[in-house]
Amino acid sequence: MTLHASVGRSLVHMDRERKTFRVNRDAYKSPEVFEREMALVFGKCWLYLGHQSELQKNGDFVSRRVGGRDLIFIRGRDGNISALYNNCTHRGARICRERKGSAKNFACPYHGWIFNTSGKLVSMNTVHGFPEDINANGRLDLRAVARLENYRGFYFVNYNPNAISLHDYLDEARGAFDNLCDQAETELVILPGEHSYTVKANYKLMAENSYDGYHLTSVHGTYFDFLRDRAAGNPAALAQIESTIKDYFTSGRTRSLGKGHGILESMVPTGRPVAQWIPLWGPELKKEIDAKRAYLEAKVGKEKADYIAETQKNLVIFPNLVINDILAATVRVIEPEGPGFMRVTAWAIGPKEESAKLREIRLDNFVSFLGPAGFGSPDDIEMLEICQAANAHSPIEWSEMSKGFGVEGDPLYATGRPDDENHMQSYWIQWDRIMRGIETLEI
Amino acid sequence: MSNCMITRLDAEDFIIAEAELLDEWRMPEWAKLFTKDAVYEVTSPASPTPLTDEPESTLFLIADRIDRIEGRANRLMKAGTHAEFPRSKTRHLVTNIRVRERSDGEAGVRANFAVYRTKEDTTTVYMGEYHYRLVREAEELKIRQKRCILDVNSLYDQGRLTIIL
Repeated sequence: MTLHASVGRSLVHMDRERKTFRVNRDAYKSPEVFEREMALVFGKCWLYLGHQSELQKNGDFVSRRVGGRDLIFIRGRDGNISALYNNCTHRGARICRERKGSAKNFACPYHGWIFNTSGKLVSMNTVHGFPEDINANGRLDLRAVARLENYRGFYFVNYNPNAISLHDYLDEARGAFDNLCDQAETELVILPGEHSYTVKANYKLMAENSYDGYHLTSVHGTYFDFLRDRAAGNPAALAQIESTIKDYFTSGRTRSLGKGHGILESMVPTGRPVAQWIPLWGPELKKEIDAKRAYLEAKVGKEKADYIAETQKNLVIFPNLVINDILAATVRVIEPEGPGFMRVTAWAIGPKEESAKLREIRLDNFVSFLGPAGFGSPDDIEMLEICQAANAHSPIEWSEMSKGFGVEGDPLYATGRPDDENHMQSYWIQWDRIMRGIETLEI
Repeated sequence: MSNCMITRLDAEDFIIAEAELLDEWRMPEWAKLFTKDAVYEVTSPASPTPLTDEPESTLFLIADRIDRIEGRANRLMKAGTHAEFPRSKTRHLVTNIRVRERSDGEAGVRANFAVYRTKEDTTTVYMGEYHYRLVREAEELKIRQKRCILDVNSLYDQGRLTIIL
């Protein structure tokens, strides 16, 4: 089969009568498909840039690649937050070569052009040769991205000036952000340190895995072994682990949130800094967790407070942002670098006002399972890499993703059991519509 | 207690023996080198001040107390630890070992490392510095703290960190 043939035809095959849902594996490996994705998916969707807490003071910046483009995310000296291309308008040098810092201005290292923190060109390092009014219309200022919007402090860019608003783009996923943000009495902050690593696989395999409930026991058996070993001699704790595994596939659910976004909600009592106490933490902390819980109830009501405090939530914002609010909360962004290669950057996020003890638990929970050296994520990563590697050398064209498919109603909003694939199906339906030009995400 | 003073030679012998255990994948024996109050840590490359940052307030790559040190060792012995199945081949090169501070029965030791990991057909290297706190416990040297600081800005080349440094 020629790879070109795959572009333009659907790479997603649905049969509602037979209740089957399949994804053509060219979607994970074809360079032509990838090129089209970068133009259509990453060129038209809202892409996560950063969190407001990363820019505490005027002049603070981070430089970051988003959807294949190098950007500077900055709070200017005037206090305004902007997203600028990290690229000199003169001859093209990279303006900012630091990953983060605080800037008074940006001086291009090549010919010394100077831009202020809003991107305005303030010096060309010479008085000779250029027309005096050469920048009268601002064309030599650092270029800002077409659109920059935030939802509750999470900043996204869109490279399409005609895109629908971020608010509309997030659709029902806005509620998931609300449930995360409402955990803070003050505000959420990205904590110091980050995990930045690469995976030899297609970025969509990571998105799928991030809210896949089906693989829990097959991939993470050794993690549960570790929990059992740690709980040895404590019958109550052991019983809790066993009941968790037993109930995992029946409690909780998947939900598709529109526009390709989706969430896995599961009930695993790991202990959560906001706000689920476990006996392992001792009575002192129970008081603090109880207070946190009371605060939540007063803020959002009992039912919602219970949901926020007790449910593990794995959220995927189409196409490449993962927010896991599980035993710790993480913001994980997936930057594709080719059909079979991605860079993952993940941060821990938590309430600013959190006590030192809960912060310690949050970070300890994080590294126990998550990240490139945790007891969970690396085994996931291995699964993505063996999928990618095996698919590259196989004539088998389709991946099967039928689990839970065919329920009544719009599949972009379908729900299922925690180990169903409904939410992934919604991701792929959205992806397919964008790739075929049916969905433009424009006003 | 002056006979308990930890010399550079003591530290060097100990750290090289530790490296041998790791390269021979004798992980449970490796875990026994640690005291009960020990920590094994690998800082994040984005850690602002990796020598003094604490895992209680900064995200690390690894921040294991003894339960996870033992858990990490045990996990690496299992076929169900997919990230290390089939197992990597590793080679720990340790050099520039120096005792930087010492008191009776305890020493702060610094060393440089390069750890090669081969998984499938790909070899990557993890390089950086070790900061050990070694103690003498019942005549034996033990590790109270092992902090590894990598000379990388991300795990771009290495991908993951599933071997023990």
